[in-house]
Amino acid sequence: MWRFLGTRIAMGAFTIWITTILVTLLIHAVPGDPVQIMYAQSQGTTPEQIEEVRRSLGLDRPILVQYGLYMERLLQGDLGNTIRGGQPVLEVILQRLPNTLLLACAAMFIAVLIGVPIGFLAAYREGSFTDIALMIVAIAGISMPHFWLGLMLLFFFALELGWLPVSGNGWLNLILPALTLGLSNAAIFARLTRSSMIDVMSQDYVQTAFAKGLPKALVLRRHVLRAGLLPVVTMMGLQFAFMMGGAIVVENIFSWNGVGRMAVEAIFQRDYPIIQGFILTFSVVVVCVAIAIDTLYAVLDPRIRRS
Amino acid sequence: MGVTTDPDMATAPPGFLRRLLGSPSGAIGLAIVLLLIFCALFAEMLAPFDPNKMGSGGRFLPPGGKHLLGTDEFGRDMFSRILFGSRITLMIGAVAVGISLTIGMAVGMVAAFRRGWVEAILMRSTDVLFSFTETLIALSFVAVLGPSLQNAVIAVGVAGIPFYARTCYAAALVETSKPYFEASIAAGAGPVRLVLVHLLPNVLPTMIVVATLGASTAILAAAGLSFLGLGAQPPTSEWGYMLAGSRDYINRAPWLMTIPGIAIALTVLGFNLLGDGLRTSLDPVERT
Repeated sequence: MWRFLGTRIAMGAFTIWITTILVTLLIHAVPGDPVQIMYAQSQGTTPEQIEEVRRSLGLDRPILVQYGLYMERLLQGDLGNTIRGGQPVLEVILQRLPNTLLLACAAMFIAVLIGVPIGFLAAYREGSFTDIALMIVAIAGISMPHFWLGLMLLFFFALELGWLPVSGNGWLNLILPALTLGLSNAAIFARLTRSSMIDVMSQDYVQTAFAKGLPKALVLRRHVLRAGLLPVVTMMGLQFAFMMGGAIVVENIFSWNGVGRMAVEAIFQRDYPIIQGFILTFSVVVVCVAIAIDTLYAVLDPRIRRS
Repeated sequence: MGVTTDPDMATAPPGFLRRLLGSPSGAIGLAIVLLLIFCALFAEMLAPFDPNKMGSGGRFLPPGGKHLLGTDEFGRDMFSRILFGSRITLMIGAVAVGISLTIGMAVGMVAAFRRGWVEAILMRSTDVLFSFTETLIALSFVAVLGPSLQNAVIAVGVAGIPFYARTCYAAALVETSKPYFEASIAAGAGPVRLVLVHLLPNVLPTMIVVATLGASTAILAAAGLSFLGLGAQPPTSEWGYMLAGSRDYINRAPWLMTIPGIAIALTVLGFNLLGDGLRTSLDPVERT
């Protein structure tokens, strides 16, 4: 088990290291002069000020030196300062990251809570009308753009019925964005749970358990659910990354004050230090969640736990 | 090319079209995609108004009458805009999938064929890129290149490469271990012939399914970028962009929100169903 986790952690660390290189190169891939572009929207910036920024960002140094400086600062927890306002990037990100994580976790909870039982029911009734109907709903759910679903929920529950607030950062404000992100992912969980459960139900040991005359509920709980849910657990890691991506759009619909909304604003303002910080944070979160889910998987699966 | 005469080539299995049309998902999916292609091809003839002409009718006219799907905040005809939007949507899907498919297949096939350090470098890089997720890659690309429809399509295409490369690699690896492939090597076939004549046609069915399902993902992702204002710019009748514009008039003219949304959902559903149908019709295991 430790070897399994060791490989995962090494792969994660490698991914983050590659991200630091890509993030350093990012600013050089910008067509034209990045400093000029960053300050194009600010009136009255003198050439001296632009040179000063170039120096402070280290853009006048050879690229390897730039990378060294970036890593040195990074290891001290310094992600640079924002172009607009000059605040430390890390501070800006840490202020908003909890909101995004809260949204993604709430959405994951909704997706699993709705998707897994639906998938299980469809598998249990494989081939029946219920199965077909549920899977039609699931494929429709996968096809529905989450930004459209978000607008519709906003329209009905916030504007027409007035049950929930339109935007903001309170607990009530979390419901609509979490539902938007959760419902679109519930469909994916439903499909995966169904195929995984059908796989397990056709296994010899499950057939044997039924043949022994064990009560149905016992077979389902002890044999089918445990084995059938393992691929779902692995999927949660991958889905969490998708939810972080989906959060970028959803945060913008509901004005949720997370890092996704910050990133889109930064792209419009060409605030590259924030964009660099966002990409790095995003990949660190995704890697950490993937490792956490893999650990959970290793603990749940006796084949890995005892290896 | 002489490819079609090669006995080793995996052509579509006999009765493929019958099977595709026989499955409900394949038939419905194909119908939706064909409808989309028809709208895109004949948009000029079908559209009653110029999609970008302001004041074709009054502002915020509800659906019905002369304006089948109503008008928007500038009095532009929504039906015409949706029709022309289908052209943009198809183009987005085709170009983005084209980028992911060609580069992804090249990486996957070369990795599976060359093995050794080439395989290690290509597939480990793919793994790293894959863990970045498509959204982050697409967003980073737009951040570098700047917001525009063209850049959004390139971003979505590049973001899909890791997934296509992985799938193609897995499919190609299976083929390279088959006896016919080893026999071709023994018969003295060169690398170009092995890859283009033997490997390519045999991984193609899998990749066609992946590309069909991938078109729906690409269309959704590009519409998402346009919705954020990072893709299509005014006055383009791109559906994601139209949806973003509807936000300000959500109470006054809800059809501005529902119509482009239905158009995107239906298109994505069409490609998803067609992909599902193709998979069942092409896969010999599912067929039996």
